[in-house]
Amino acid sequence: MLLSFRQGPPTDYDKVMNVTSEPSTTSPNIKTKGTALALAAAGRFSELPIYAPAVECMERSQLEALQLQKLQQQVAYTYDNVPHYREKMDEMGVTPSDIRTLADVRKLPFTDKSVLRDTFPYGLFAVDLDSIVELHASSGTTGKPIVVGYTQADMDVWSDCIARLVQMAGVVPGDRAQMAFGYGMFTGGFGLHYGLMKLGCMMIPAGSGNTERHIQMIEDYGTTVLIATPSYAMHICEVGERMGYDWQSSPLRVGLFGGEPCPPALKEEIERRMHIVCTDNYGLTEVMGPGVSGECLAERFQQHIAEDHFLWEVVDPQTGEPVGEGEEGELVLTPLDKQGIPVLRYRTHDLTRVHTEPCACGRTHARMEKVRSRCDDMLIIRGTNVFPSQIEDVLCGIEEVTPLYHIVVETRGGMDHLTVETELRAEAFSDSFEQMDALRARIAERLKGTLLVGVDVRLVEPGGIERTAGKAKHVDDRR
Amino acid sequence: MTIQQISVFAESKPGHVSSILELFGEEGINVRGFSAGDTGEYGIVRFIVDRPEDAMAALKRNNCACASTPVLCLRLKDEPGELARVMGVLAACDINVIYSYSMISTYIVLSVSDVEHAEELLSNEPVECATQDDIPHLRA
Repeated sequence: MLLSFRQGPPTDYDKVMNVTSEPSTTSPNIKTKGTALALAAAGRFSELPIYAPAVECMERSQLEALQLQKLQQQVAYTYDNVPHYREKMDEMGVTPSDIRTLADVRKLPFTDKSVLRDTFPYGLFAVDLDSIVELHASSGTTGKPIVVGYTQADMDVWSDCIARLVQMAGVVPGDRAQMAFGYGMFTGGFGLHYGLMKLGCMMIPAGSGNTERHIQMIEDYGTTVLIATPSYAMHICEVGERMGYDWQSSPLRVGLFGGEPCPPALKEEIERRMHIVCTDNYGLTEVMGPGVSGECLAERFQQHIAEDHFLWEVVDPQTGEPVGEGEEGELVLTPLDKQGIPVLRYRTHDLTRVHTEPCACGRTHARMEKVRSRCDDMLIIRGTNVFPSQIEDVLCGIEEVTPLYHIVVETRGGMDHLTVETELRAEAFSDSFEQMDALRARIAERLKGTLLVGVDVRLVEPGGIERTAGKAKHVDDRR
Repeated sequence: MTIQQISVFAESKPGHVSSILELFGEEGINVRGFSAGDTGEYGIVRFIVDRPEDAMAALKRNNCACASTPVLCLRLKDEPGELARVMGVLAACDINVIYSYSMISTYIVLSVSDVEHAEELLSNEPVECATQDDIPHLRA
């Protein structure tokens, strides 16, 4: 099987992968609120849906053989069709025929975001624009945007990846999925939209904003799945509670999160208060968009990488050399069947560890630990390295505040100064400055114990940390 | 005869106190006295209102960090030396005042460490305590 990949014109992905042949053993109650989490808690993973078991549960040896074959084709395709890579490889003295094992991927050049920026808009496209069916772009917060193009085959792969990860959360055909991401050039909106449609869900393309209308639509249309950033989902939850909306009897069953990293404590809180199951997925515009990896209900702090579509490496961010098995490093991704923009060894700047041991959910694809920090979001405060995720971990352990936070870095009197804003929970308030100051001092002390630098803590009123429909901005570096 | 004081956590930013007051306005809650203290970045705004239960419910609906605390409210005569006299009474009773603010100029609100005990002590002293029922009708 599977050996006819990329010969001739774009292939019909489903036929090649034979993804719908497996009989489903999915629980008939999967559409009942709470079922997915209850089955997972009982270890009954065979009753949870798997979109493409033939691929997702493939023997690893077979998977690696498939990856190698695809990598060889992809490198040849890239060399032949993208002048940037041909020049780079010629410079390095590498030809496509040098790729004999998966480890040979290390002979290839890395790709950094700057390459996509410098070749803006179409410099890295490998096909004639007539074959591109859709363009997306990244927000361009750090200068010029980067733009990516998809062929129909790319769109099919993308939808396939999304269908897989939404099924990991127990989403099934017939679910009603309400989009709370903005559409537009951002990959999150349309990416999830097409994938959910492919699975057979009814899409409710509400878009971002107007929280009360979102809640009204959930009730009116019987929405079962909400797609949002975790911080916006929290906002929807709070607004609903304030309106007197009963989340427990709401039709909503699943939250699909993305767009920003989701602190575990925030997800737990949303699951508890909205009475839903929530998962989040990982992806980036430069290699596809959302759907590179997704969380199953067996390993909630990890995400299965769609390894038949992406070859992963974990490297030392400084040297670019591979780190040891299961060690932390920068994730590097090579899409294995991307036609519009084939990218080799994309440096994500995201720090993670990857595990290949079998997963209780039945899937064999490797699991990456959820990205908590990026090599470029490390803050250097008076010579000490500080990651926002460390601050998040401390705050999650303090019950008087919510998991939402904001960090301000400034220079005061020539010194770096770190201020952490954290949101007081309504029920933790007392009519006493003394107690509020004691809480503040306790948080500052715990942060100092973990970060090894002094921190000012600012208590912010409930709802005072911004909830965003897009990417949450945790750090404001004013230096 | 304690009365209920409502405290609200508010950041020191323009508009934060006025949004609380607007909420009271919408609910038809009459503010009879208030005090705002701050530590620079955040403050606690304290209110004496005619309908404390309704005010608490409205604040909670709006996810405000708020608390209801029993305090004393003493009536003062509007004449020189009266405040000194009343404070003297409190001192003589060994009542520790945590904070205090004046309402309608001739009423002062006192937060004390043991409110029930203080009430008892003051019942035999020449000071006049307002009751919760008095609050809507207080006149200077």
